[in-house]
This record gives sequence, C-alpha cells and structure tokens, in this order.
Amino acid sequence: MRGNAMALSLSWRLFRHEARRGELTVILLAIVLSVASVLSLSLFSERLQSALSDKSAEFLAADRMLGSDKPVPDSWLEEARQRGLAVSQRNQLRSMAFANDKMMLTDVRAVDAFYPLKGVVKVSDMPFGLPQETRDLPALGEVWIGSRLFQVLGISLGDELEIGDKAFVVSKAVIELPDGGFNLFGGDPVVLMNLADLPATNVTGPGSRTDYDYLFAGEDSALDDYYAYLKPQLNRELHYWRSVKDEDSPLGRSVKRAEQYFLLASLLAIVLAAVSIAVAAQRYSQRHYDPVAIMKTLGAPAAMVRRVYLLQILFITLLGIVVGGVVGFGIQQLIASLIADKVPVALDTWYWRPFFIAIFTGLVCAMLFSLYPLLKLFSVPPLRVLRRDLGASMGSRSLQFVAAGLAIFLLMWAYSGNLTISAILLACGLLLVASLMLVTLGLIAVGRKLGQGRMGAWQLAWARISRRAMDNSVQLISFAVTIMLLLVVLVMRNDMVQQWRDQLPEGTPNYFMINITQQQLPKLEQHFVEHGVDIEHFYPVVRGRFAAINEETIRTDVSKEEDSNSRGRQGLGREANLTWSNQLQHENHVVEGTWHGEQSSEGEPRVSVEKEVALRLGIKMGDLLTFNIGSEVVKAKVSSVREVNWQTMQPNFFFVLEPRSMANFSPTYITSFHLDSDKKPELAGLMAPFPTVSLFDVDARINQLRSIVEQVSMAVEFILVLVLCAGTLVLVAQVQSSMDERMQELAILRTLGAKGLLIRMSVILEFVIIGMVAGLMAAMANELALYLLQTQIFNMQASIHWDFWLLAPLVGALVVGILGALSCWRLLSFNTSELLRRMI
Amino acid sequence: MTLTSNMISTKAITKTVTTSQGELQILQPISFDVKAGETVAIVGASGSGKSTLLGLLAGLDQVSSGEIYLDNQPLHSMDEEQRARLRGEKVGFIFQSFMLVQSLTALENIMLPAEIAGLSDARKRALEALEQVGLSHRGSHYPNQLSGGEQQRVAIARAFITRPKILFADEPTGNLDAANGDKIENLLFDLNQQLGTTLILVTHDSELAARCQRQLKMHGGVLEDTSVTALEGQRHAG
Ligand SMILES: Nc1ncnc2c1ncn2[C@@H]1O[C@H](COP(=O)(O)OP(=O)(O)OP(=O)(O)O)[C@@H](O)[C@H]1O
Ligand SMILES: [Mg+2]
Repeated sequence: MRGNAMALSLSWRLFRHEARRGELTVILLAIVLSVASVLSLSLFSERLQSALSDKSAEFLAADRMLGSDKPVPDSWLEEARQRGLAVSQRNQLRSMAFANDKMMLTDVRAVDAFYPLKGVVKVSDMPFGLPQETRDLPALGEVWIGSRLFQVLGISLGDELEIGDKAFVVSKAVIELPDGGFNLFGGDPVVLMNLADLPATNVTGPGSRTDYDYLFAGEDSALDDYYAYLKPQLNRELHYWRSVKDEDSPLGRSVKRAEQYFLLASLLAIVLAAVSIAVAAQRYSQRHYDPVAIMKTLGAPAAMVRRVYLLQILFITLLGIVVGGVVGFGIQQLIASLIADKVPVALDTWYWRPFFIAIFTGLVCAMLFSLYPLLKLFSVPPLRVLRRDLGASMGSRSLQFVAAGLAIFLLMWAYSGNLTISAILLACGLLLVASLMLVTLGLIAVGRKLGQGRMGAWQLAWARISRRAMDNSVQLISFAVTIMLLLVVLVMRNDMVQQWRDQLPEGTPNYFMINITQQQLPKLEQHFVEHGVDIEHFYPVVRGRFAAINEETIRTDVSKEEDSNSRGRQGLGREANLTWSNQLQHENHVVEGTWHGEQSSEGEPRVSVEKEVALRLGIKMGDLLTFNIGSEVVKAKVSSVREVNWQTMQPNFFFVLEPRSMANFSPTYITSFHLDSDKKPELAGLMAPFPTVSLFDVDARINQLRSIVEQVSMAVEFILVLVLCAGTLVLVAQVQSSMDERMQELAILRTLGAKGLLIRMSVILEFVIIGMVAGLMAAMANELALYLLQTQIFNMQASIHWDFWLLAPLVGALVVGILGALSCWRLLSFNTSELLRRMI
Repeated sequence: MTLTSNMISTKAITKTVTTSQGELQILQPISFDVKAGETVAIVGASGSGKSTLLGLLAGLDQVSSGEIYLDNQPLHSMDEEQRARLRGEKVGFIFQSFMLVQSLTALENIMLPAEIAGLSDARKRALEALEQVGLSHRGSHYPNQLSGGEQQRVAIARAFITRPKILFADEPTGNLDAANGDKIENLLFDLNQQLGTTLILVTHDSELAARCQRQLKMHGGVLEDTSVTALEGQRHAG
C-alpha cells in the first residue's frame, strides 16, 4: 500500500536524521543501557552460577545422585548414558576392618573407574600428610584408607588390611574425598576400594546394609529430563534423588543465596532500565508534539501518524538492542576475563537464555513504556500549530502508573519465576510512589509559603518545585526508585558477604580431637600450650542411646530416618553424643523455652534440644526424654530448643543436659583447635604422646568452603559494580531530560536579565532538594524491601541500617546536585539566542 | 445544497470554550463568503479571535454551532479524519513560527504534504518548488541551519506543493524583519496569482492587509465590517 510505504520511508528518514543529529541519544541510551545491563548481568551470573555449581557439585562428586538400598536396573544407567550423561557407581557400607589383631568399624566405599564425576580425590603417602590430587583410584587388591585408621590399627603403608573375606594392601592415605561429608563424629574412617573387588569381600550379603549410589553429571536440562524419566519408576522406600542445589547440601544455602542475589540484581537492573526508558520515552514524546501537529495539519490521517511513530520506536528499539547487546556482551567478557584467575568462569560456553531475556526486556520495556507517551503524542491536536500551548489531551496519569507498575511486575515475574520476590519489590515500589506523592503535596504547600517574598535562589527553587509539582513528582519518583534499588543491592551485598565471612573467620578451628580421657586432659592441655596451640574449650561427651520420648519407646521407623540422614551432615545415629554444660555455646540461639543456665532446679534435670532434631523426632517443650547410657538410664525434661549454626567449625550437639544429671558418668572430651597450614608437619609430634586420641583434619574442607565463599563474594561485588554503573547512568539520563524541560524557563529568565549565578544556584538547590528527599525516602523504602527480602527470601537475620538513613539523603543530594549543576552549567554556557533556538 | 462559486461559506458560526471560569464565547455568530481566487485579510486587535476564526475556516478546529463550507464541503459535520483528508487535498498553510519539522531537511519538509497525499512525483515537485523560492542550494539543510526568512520561504514552497485551492496564513511575516517580510509577501502574492489560489491571511500589518482584495475586521469575537476593496470591484468588472 502506498500509505504504508510512505510511512516507512518517512519514519526511516526521521529516524536517520534524528539519530545523526543526536536527538535520539537519550532514549537510545536508555534502551542500550537496559539491554546491556540485563545482558551482562544475566550472562555473567549464568556463567558464575555454572562455575559455582560445578564447584559445589564437588561435594556430591556429581551433579546429581540417585541413592538406593538395592542395585537399580542396568537399563536406568543405560538410559542416562544414552542421554549423554556421565555415570558412575559407588557402593557404600559399614564394615569391620582387621589388621594387627585389631579391628575398627570403617566406612567402605567401592567405586568404579569414573569416580568422582566432580571434584578430585586427594591422597598422601603418610597419614595426615600434605594432600596431593590424584586422578587414579586404588588398583585391584589395594585400598586407600583414612588417616585415623592408620593410627587406630597401628599400620603403615604397604601393610595388609582385611575387609570381610579379602586381604588388601594399603597403598595410600586418603586425605580428602570430594563427597567426604561433614559428619565428624559419627564418621568412621574411609576405606576406598575398587568396585570390582567388593564381591570378593562377601560383606554385601543379606543383613549388611549397602547403599548403592549412582552418580550423574551433565547439562542441567539433560539431568532434569533424566529425572523426569526416572521419577515415575522410583520407589520412595528404596530410592532418593539428590542435587547440589538441595538446601541441605553443605554449600547449598550459600550458593542458593548467591543465585538469588544475582536474580535480584538482574531484576533491579530490569527495573532501572524500565525507569530510564520511561523517562526517556516521556521526553521523546514531548519533543515530537510539533511534528505530529504539523503532519496532522498537512492532512496526514491518524493511522499514518501512528504508523510513522510506531515504526520509529521500532527502529530505535532494534538499534538499541543491537548496540546494547554488543556493549553488554563486551562488558561481561571484560569482567569475566578480569576475574578469570579467581573464579573459573568458562568464557567459551554460550548461553542463549540471557540473550533472549535481554532482547525481550529491551522490546517489552521500549514498547510498554513508550506506549503511554506515544498515545499522548498521537492525541496532539493539529490546532497546536496555531495555539502553541496546546499539548496532548490524555486521560489521567494514574493510568500510566498502573500500566508501568504492571509491566514491571510482569517482567520481574516472567524473569524470576518467583512471585514472592517480584511482589515484595513491587509492593515496596508502590509504597514508595504513594508516599512520594504525599511528600510532593507537602513540598508544594511548603513551597507556597517559602516561595513568597523576594526572589532569591531559594524562592526560585521552591517556586519551581511546587509549580511543576506533577513533573517533579515523576522525577522524584524516578530518582527515589533508582536510589532505593541501588541501596537494596548495596546493603544486601554487605550483609550477605559479612554473614558469609563470619561463618569462617580467620583462625577457624581446622582440627578436631575426640576420645580424650579424663586422665589425659590436663597433660594434653599443657602439652598443647607448650607447643603454642590454643584450645578454647573441651566438651565432655558420653555416648548414649536415645530411647524414649515421654516413656514411649521410639518407633522403629525413626531408625530408618536416621539411616538416610546419616548420609548427611546431621546424622543422628541411634547413638548420640550427649554433653552437659551450664553455658550456651557460641552461635547457639535459644528459640523456644529458656536456657537452663547456672541455677540448679528441683525435679527432673533439664535438657536443651537442637531445633531440627526436635522437629524431626517430634520432640516438644516439656517432653521427658530417656537416654540409655551403658546400663544406666537418664531422664531429662526438654526446657529449651536451640538453633545451631552448623556452618561453624566447632563441636555442636543435639542434646545438652544440665550437668547434675550426668555427674555419675566419666566422659571423654571433644575439642577443636586451629593450626596454621605451615605448622602441619608438627602435627605428628603434637599427637605422638596421645596415641588413643583421634584426630580429624578438616583443614581441606575449610579451605574448600572459604574459597567458594570468596569467589561468590567477589562475583557479588562485580554484580554490585555493574548495577551501580547502570544506576548512575539512569540518574544522568533523568537529570538530562529534566534539564531539557527547564530549558525554556532558563531561557526566559535569562532573557529577562536574571543573573547567571542566581539561575545556577536556584537550579542546583532544586536538584539538591529533590536528591535529598529522594534519598531519604529511598532509605526508608530500602529498609522495608530489605526486611522483606531477607526474612522471606534469603533466610537471613534482618537488621536496620541507620547509617544509610543519613548517607542516602546526603549522597542523593550530592550526586543529583552535582549532576544538575553540570548539565545546568552546560545549558547556561549557551547564549540566550542559542537557547531560544534550541527550544523550538 | 446548490453548488456555488464560493470557496468558503460560513453561516452563523460560533466558538465557545470551557475555561475554569465557565463557558466563554470567543466568537459571536459570524457569516460571510469568500469567492474562489479571492484574497482576504483578517485584521483586528490582539485577542480579538483572528486565529480562532482561521483555525475554524481551515478545519483545524470544530465550530460550536453554525455551518461552514469549504469548497462546498460541509466542514462542520466532518470528523477529524475527514477534515484531515480535506486539508490534505485542498488546503495549504503558512504560520508565524514557520512550523517546519526540525528533523527533516528543507527539501523533505517541502515534500511532506505531497507524500502524505500520496503523490508519486513528490521529490520532483519539491525540487521545483525549492527552485521557485530561490533555495535550490539549501535543500539538504535542516531548518535550524536556515534564517527566519529562509525558513518561511521553505514553508511557502511546502504550502504550494500540492497546488491547494486555498491557502491560510497566520501572520506570515510576524517573525521577520521588514526586508524579509517584504520578500515573503511578494512571493506569497506572486504564487497566489500564478496558481489562482484563494488566500486568507491574518495580519497586524496594515500594508500587507491593504494588498488583499478584502479585509475582515475582528473586534472582541465579532466580525465588524466587511469591505470590498476597489481592486475586487475592478476584477469582477474586468
Ligand atoms: N481554548 C481556549 N480556551 C480559552 N481561551 C481561548 C481558547 N482559545 C482562544 N481563547 C481566547 O480567545 C481569544 C481569541 O484568541 P485568538 O488566538 O483567536 O486571538 P488573536 O486575534 O489571534 O490574537 P493575536 O493577534 O494575539 O494572535 C483570546 O482572548 C484567547 O485567549
Ligand atoms: Mg493569533
């Protein structure tokens, strides 16, 4: 059709000229910014996440694991291989190991040649030796065993060790297995052997409890598909499926939090992008009132005007997306290569999702946020050519707010798939907008009072703020939203990184000792002090059987629960370590009841129970617990429930009793201490006088944890910097566009002979006031958003950040004021006639 | 309705606007005719309603009551889309503030009405028109690179490119100095004569008004006086 061709050509010409003349810079920049920041953020976080989940996959030695009480059909494994997954088998069972006429219960792990799929095995040529990575596995007829087993059985490398019916040669000490787990006390020393040797031992017969574990690694989607295939065939009684992302996996929580942070940051980037596009589209629309009026006057039908401008927005959007894509990819590549030596992000892997998201965001933002300004633009009457003051005649602005809010919410929801996060951010945003409207009204009232009298810079500033109240409220809102989002990202990062670091401060204990007898205790303490090793606390321990709750013998299915849980961190065997103390340990918080404390009580002794055990075993406040210790029976009443931070490297206990209940038992002691890595060679000498004391080395594990925390923190840092840059650019765009609106007024003031200084001061003051108010409101909204996010999403302790209540208004005033001053200075450097000319 | 030779015919048109102080009638009932080819000046004090009247005559605005025919088409009963088409077909415009599209070149500005009308030879016509107003060498310049007088010449070229039957001008020389104003006036009347266009212009300039065959004097929203100049008498006689 001719009309179409004409609209296309006209629109293309307008686009080309305007782009060349720099008239589209602001809206183009907004789109470029949104696409670039969303792309770089999500691409970067995708890469980081895969690096991190690779790292945490090491804790499972795989991406996913299928645990089973019986061997699973070969066809299942064949199916996995068909789907391109790597598969490995590991059988695990408890069995006695014999040597030198001594024996010890061991944790036997028989693995095939593919083990481990993730992470590495570390071994040494001496017990507790320096770890060396190895790609090998024990040869047929050989075993590698944990350091403690050497100690207990009194053997050395090359000696024989019997497991069941078969004798093995001990060829290495196992220092670290990727899937070694965290159960320090229930954990028996490891015996690693070749899967092919297992049948000859005859230990897997009926009555033995063997875990048949199948490890899988591969693409997330392939793994998910495979699980979908597997799921209908699984029997809940026999099988269970584990992934590194499970919250209960040792690092699950940190990694999950980091992922949520990236998600949050990307969401905020989307919102920032939307805000800047909304601001720019508004400006774009206003600048095109005249051309629209002219075209209409010259006889262009409404449909043609619509087509011309929709096409133009399309051109702008496409250009913005292309440029934004290139810029975003570049930024991401730069950052990734900058931190490549710290975080092993794979630069060659290509992720499509971030590109789709970025393009989608650019399109949706540009279309949705220019919709209302465009509708306004289309409604400009032709009569404007005669009556210059005629603007667009469009309905209420609240429609715009509702549409914008809805669009942002939908974008966030579509992107995150997380209704809670999206709802929290939207609700806080709405509240912020509502209170800002109120503040604006207040400002107008104040301004009316203050604006009277002689025209100084203050009066001029106030007068302007109140006169352009509606425009200012939009501006205030966009400034405040921007500042709020920046605050959320900043404070969130501070809190999160701090909490991570707190988990593993310098000097975190990296060795545990158990089985210290009462007689050994003073000698050992002195010996350690002489060697310059501090030991903070020895915890008395008695092994007891947890027998009954309220005189009701514990049902047998509890033991089943126990077994599946013994695979994880909090394994509670039927045997539990009981300790007693009047003092609450560090990082323990009473969540119910009161800590029994120093004061002794009459009647039943009291006991404090760990929260998750209480939950799992159905223990309630006031319950009477029965423990069998040897042939004795101890009863205690539950007087408090504790929350325990399991991520600290200190001995933790499910049950802490009141001391008087345990006075008759002679305990052994447990403790932990810190030894610098360079002192590691002294360890053997340190332990030599106490051969019966068992030593656990968790140094490797701590370093593993710490390196992940550091990598995640660094990644979070970079994300923060990215979002800060995006936010600053948005602020610049906002100031620029609001400056534009002031141009006319400045020109008039200038023409009327107002002094440059007066104008400048009043404009700067105006921006300072707006920046300050926006900062203050943002700090308040930030607090609410953070509280909701931290308690609802991140499972963190929420706190109030008073310092930001002061900082945000100050920085807001400063930054917005400086930006305002800069662009005002630029404007005033034009002479009056040039100003007037630019206005037309 | 019988077809007449009137290019414009108004019957008791009024304009009422709603303001914060209530209804305000800015045009009292006005009736007059303009013959094809006639040149008419609308004069009067500032605020007397000249631009308002012009807007109604040109179909940029809707009358509150009364009838208004433009080349025998009932403007008063048309909607904005129909009026737009009519404007595109029959009407040319010149404004005090030139009203050029800033991001189109001089040539493209001139082409615009022809393109909107769907003429296939828009560029050719525009080049000719540019030639006629003596700006062939400035075709690729943007409006803000041209002087006020040059911009108004571009506007005139744009107004004539579709050979409109009637041309409306609101203070075409209002923003120009005397020398440039004269140039624009001459151009306007020359082209008008060449093409036989009906010309209706609003002006404060009594010399300019005097060059028109007829003057309509507005006073506080009332059309005071319709005088037929000697010129018109001669032409009708001749
Ligand atoms: N939409 C409107 N609302 C309120 N008042 C209006 C409106 N349109 C026109 N007026 C008023 O009607 C009167 C006539 O306006 P108009 O622009 O037609 O005057 P004019 O004769 O062209 O004046 P000038 O010579 O200054 O251009 C003015 O007082 C103007 O303020
Ligand atoms: Mg006027």
